[in-house]
Amino acid sequence: MKDTFRQSMKWLHTWVGLVVGWVLFFMFLTGTLGYFYQEITRWMQPERPLIVHEVSTEALLDRAQQFAEIHAKGVDEYDILLPSSRDQNLRLGWRHAPEPGKKRGRYKQTVVDIESAENVATRETGGGRTLYRMHYRLHYMDTSISYWLVGFCTMLMLLAVITGVVIHKKIFSDFFTFRAKKGLPGWLDSHNALSVIALPFHFMITYSGLLFFLFMYMGVSSNFQTNDDEFKEMRKEIFPRSAHVEPAGIPAEMRSFSSLYDIAQQQWQTDNLRYVTVHAPNDINAQIAFVRNETDITYNQGDEVVVNGISGELISGNHKDYTVSGVIHNGFYSLHEGQFAGTLARWVYFITGLIGTAMIASGLVLWTTKRKPQQMKKLNGPDFGYRLVEQLNIGTIVGLPIAIAAYFYANRLLPVTMENRGEWEVHIMFITWALLLLYPAIRPAGKAWLEQLQLASIVFILLPMVNALTTDKHLGVTLPHGDWNLAGFDLTLIAVGISFAFARYKMKVIQQSNNARRKPTKSSIERSTNRKSPLENTPKPDLVLTKTGGDTV
Amino acid sequence: MSYLLNKLQLANPRWSVFSRILAAALGGYALATSSSLLITQLLMSLVGKYQGIHIGLMLGFLVYTGAVMWAFSVTTATRAWLGLVKLNVIFLLLTWALMQVNS
Repeated sequence: MKDTFRQSMKWLHTWVGLVVGWVLFFMFLTGTLGYFYQEITRWMQPERPLIVHEVSTEALLDRAQQFAEIHAKGVDEYDILLPSSRDQNLRLGWRHAPEPGKKRGRYKQTVVDIESAENVATRETGGGRTLYRMHYRLHYMDTSISYWLVGFCTMLMLLAVITGVVIHKKIFSDFFTFRAKKGLPGWLDSHNALSVIALPFHFMITYSGLLFFLFMYMGVSSNFQTNDDEFKEMRKEIFPRSAHVEPAGIPAEMRSFSSLYDIAQQQWQTDNLRYVTVHAPNDINAQIAFVRNETDITYNQGDEVVVNGISGELISGNHKDYTVSGVIHNGFYSLHEGQFAGTLARWVYFITGLIGTAMIASGLVLWTTKRKPQQMKKLNGPDFGYRLVEQLNIGTIVGLPIAIAAYFYANRLLPVTMENRGEWEVHIMFITWALLLLYPAIRPAGKAWLEQLQLASIVFILLPMVNALTTDKHLGVTLPHGDWNLAGFDLTLIAVGISFAFARYKMKVIQQSNNARRKPTKSSIERSTNRKSPLENTPKPDLVLTKTGGDTV
Repeated sequence: MSYLLNKLQLANPRWSVFSRILAAALGGYALATSSSLLITQLLMSLVGKYQGIHIGLMLGFLVYTGAVMWAFSVTTATRAWLGLVKLNVIFLLLTWALMQVNS
């Protein structure tokens, strides 16, 4: 393509990154929020009770059993999700009766009030789940089209990551030379630093993303080599699942879950229960699986103890044997999803995800920054392509976060009884994004950056206040109560708002110094040609120019 | 006809870029597939058929990446096409030969 290998790869890196950069930004941002999707859902259902401190696991299990006897009668299987550091409510989940025309019913979770063992009526919302599912499912699109589109973008991301490493001669020494200058070197260094700092993460998240749809993307090869039965067998070998018990049809009364949990605890010697799955409840074959918090990265290995619900007999044989390739594949899933992560590791995931998002953003901005001096010299103004990239950058990099804030606003402001409320939350998010993508078309780019950054800082800082006006789960309540799950969400919003305000300030400083450099006024030209002033190289004349120089961008 | 050909401006470097993109996308995917078949045949006796297939598929994305990078590093689009076709044929022939040995 170009003279040298490195130059060819640079070309490839630039264009591959640009073509899908905005979709990747969307995927990275919504995916990063996924690391807190349970926390987000809890915030989006303010009817849920506050954290209840110091309840024993045994008491919770019996509460849940009591609840299931009434509300989950007749289901084949249900889960009890215990309060955790991520979601501090007790929840019961099961597959509901299928809607007409559907094969399987939807899996829904019900929040149980720990104190009264009553059902908590929550507002209809897509919650964090809908938001994070967008990162691979997109929205408004057929699933298979979404998966292929996402696969295409991810493949180009993998290319961008690897070519990025190749074109980077001194990957480690460069990392330590951050030139905090404005303009091109600054943006380039930011892009490099953000890329290198989390390089293993960027590679892992991209490659594992492709593995999620391995048999779809590499379908030609897998279909060629296996028939349907062989394929099923192969999948079973890669993703071993616990054997599920069939009900015998003979009703029997289950023992209390708390007494059965004693058996699990004897096996573990710790009280670290995450969830419980009840198979064939109230049947002579009833099996209760106690699953411990995953601390192992081997996905789904979830250390479980299974007992018979009637006799309390310990059932073995639910261990999953992984093949070597299965461990690699499941290990990548686990690394991608971070299910094993505790609070600290989860924050590390979140911040690393944001670094990835910022890497994409800085790459996109770099594309325009590099071309700007040349584009600005053009007599008819910058090219259409350049303008388009610039607008998409502003509308996505700042527009999408505002749109996500709009999703949260919709959650608080739409009437609770509204029909299709959950869907409308999403509509409002995308309408907002569309408007913010259009806005830079009618404004000069420099102004649009500043205005959207300002809007972003305002909407994020105001959101906890809107929360305080519309719900009783605001900082004034959550902080004294020690509900860090809910308080953390509001505090994070404020921190994000402040970050946007800071970004706006930095952007303004950069723009002012750029304007000063690019657009010398008549007097400054005279000065520089007529006399060699010793002040010429000092920043002082720049300051004067800032005031007189017009807005060029 | 000649008018149409003129209109298309086949000598335009854009076409060469377009052709190279096609070579990288299609030839690269074909190479990911053929390499996965070859890897299966190579590993089959060691780790069994299913694991062999699985490993071949998982490595496919990396092969694809390498193929695309290679296609953009050579001097002309024609070379990219020829190289990828050649490598695909070699992989498929080796796969076929190993299939005879394995069965």
